[in-house]
Amino acid sequence: MIVARRLQLPTSRPTEFVDITSRLQDEIAAAGLRNGRLHLQSLHTTLGLAVNENEPLLLEDLAATLERLAPTGFPYRHDDLVRRPSVGPGEPVNGHAHCRQLVLLPACTLLVEEGHLVLGRWQSVFAVELDGPRQRQVALQLDGDFGGRRTARPRVVLSSAVEGARQAAEPEAGPGLHQERRLVELELARQLLVDPEPVQLPMRRLVEAGGKRVRPLLAMLSSRLGRRVDPLQAAALAGAIELLHDATLVHDDYVDEASTRRGRPTVAAREGASTAIAVGDYYFAKAVRVIAQLGNPDVTTTIARAVEAICLAQIDDVRLRGAFPGDYETYLKVVRGKTAALFAAACRAGAQLAGADEALVACLERFGDLLGIAFQMVDDLLDYSERSGKPLGQDIRQRTVSLPLIYAAEHPDHGGRVRELLAGPLDEERVREVQRLVIASGALDRVGEEARSLISTALGILEERGLDRVRSPLADLARSAIDRVR
Amino acid sequence: MSGRAEIDAHLRGLEPVWEEGMGDAYAFYRPRAAPEVALAAAMVEAGLRLQRLGGEAPDPSRLLIGDLCLARASRLLAETRDQRLQVGFASAVERVAAAATGGPPAPPLRDLLAATIAGVR
Repeated sequence: MIVARRLQLPTSRPTEFVDITSRLQDEIAAAGLRNGRLHLQSLHTTLGLAVNENEPLLLEDLAATLERLAPTGFPYRHDDLVRRPSVGPGEPVNGHAHCRQLVLLPACTLLVEEGHLVLGRWQSVFAVELDGPRQRQVALQLDGDFGGRRTARPRVVLSSAVEGARQAAEPEAGPGLHQERRLVELELARQLLVDPEPVQLPMRRLVEAGGKRVRPLLAMLSSRLGRRVDPLQAAALAGAIELLHDATLVHDDYVDEASTRRGRPTVAAREGASTAIAVGDYYFAKAVRVIAQLGNPDVTTTIARAVEAICLAQIDDVRLRGAFPGDYETYLKVVRGKTAALFAAACRAGAQLAGADEALVACLERFGDLLGIAFQMVDDLLDYSERSGKPLGQDIRQRTVSLPLIYAAEHPDHGGRVRELLAGPLDEERVREVQRLVIASGALDRVGEEARSLISTALGILEERGLDRVRSPLADLARSAIDRVR
Repeated sequence: MSGRAEIDAHLRGLEPVWEEGMGDAYAFYRPRAAPEVALAAAMVEAGLRLQRLGGEAPDPSRLLIGDLCLARASRLLAETRDQRLQVGFASAVERVAAAATGGPPAPPLRDLLAATIAGVR
């Protein structure tokens, strides 16, 4: 079997090294290729391919080398449009670009093992624009053992020739989020690449299984606001925040005895509890280190305080399982710590990193707090949805403090039976009965309405003056948080 | 932070861990470091000991208390605003955690933390 794809590459400069490594990795995951080969081929005479190190100064050296080999101002015969036959309108003057492509690859083959590109520690794959800016395409074919689970967009074709017609069909997040999302993915891949394999592989599986990346995107967007906008530093912060979040998930899954996460076995289920604990500790420490290395003590403190809040709330959460299903105030306290603390900290730290005014930092923090609470409420609703990637009824089985259960237990008709069921042993039949009663009580609608109301308040915060640059993408992100259950 | 009362304030939720060896670890680090740093080092040691890194997994409640030890140590270090300490302590945990999964071997945690402290004195 062969899977064929086209990568769409909008370039922005005359000469540009576009790192496509993470996009190729995405395609491998999407196709479910476990072991085999990825063939790629430029579909242009002035776009080449290269495998090299993604180091900004080196990329400048490589561009300078191309310039020396085939200087821009040289009188190339190809550029003599008077003498050339059949020259159409708008023909570019680009003899230099054609000559430069001679030293690059028109096509190459990369090996894939266990679902990952086989690349050396410093190797990245580049599409090299030689005559930009333009809209470019790179053709891909994947062949080999497709034993993996397709993560998205299956695109199996036997003949690649027709595939070019259906390009760029990827649904993206809001227009303002595309670049941030790409940077976050790239940064995560970069941060994971250097870690020792025994910890790296379990975390890679978790990271590559998906996730909404809301926290890192909040940090990225918030970092647009200050006087020191630096997308690479912001990406480092964002990647570290995601790894921190994932580290807490690895430990939570052991505590909750969860078997799957993002539709795949948890680290504890697959590798054992001992490995899960070490992997969680490693990535907690790594994230803390990466954030410290940014050299902004305010950012370091913001994240450290959030992590402490998460840990305290997690302890509360487990302790409160004896008082299941709990009450609204308790729920809010736990959710603020478990979920909203990192949302708020991501917003705050992103803005602090960029040197934003304290008033804006506080606004964003408040926005993150509300979004985090709404996000958790929607997460609670997903316990009743087959789309969640988690087993249905997990919150009930684990006796997790959850708002639908709290509201169902308050219902005049069904509340008594809900409380009675929750007080006793929870076999599968009783779990299903609780689920039915929660739905019948209207608790899910009530929780959904409350989440929407919080989002509405959060969007109101974004009307604050000074937030113009981030209002639209943050609003998109907030809305997507509650769209998950529609 | 100078007295026992201030230490107690930082121990909220971790009081039993003090008796389980954190106090001894603090006594080791205190002559070598400021009280906040010594307490952070003792918390890191206690946290990883609670989690039995590389050994049989502890019960969930001890894992979570261990997480809280690491998180609070991280917050204490953040408040010192000393980047070298923050990076050094985190690197030590990274090395020990990686070694516990079969990664490159690491020196004992106490040696790594003490070396970090010595490097910034």
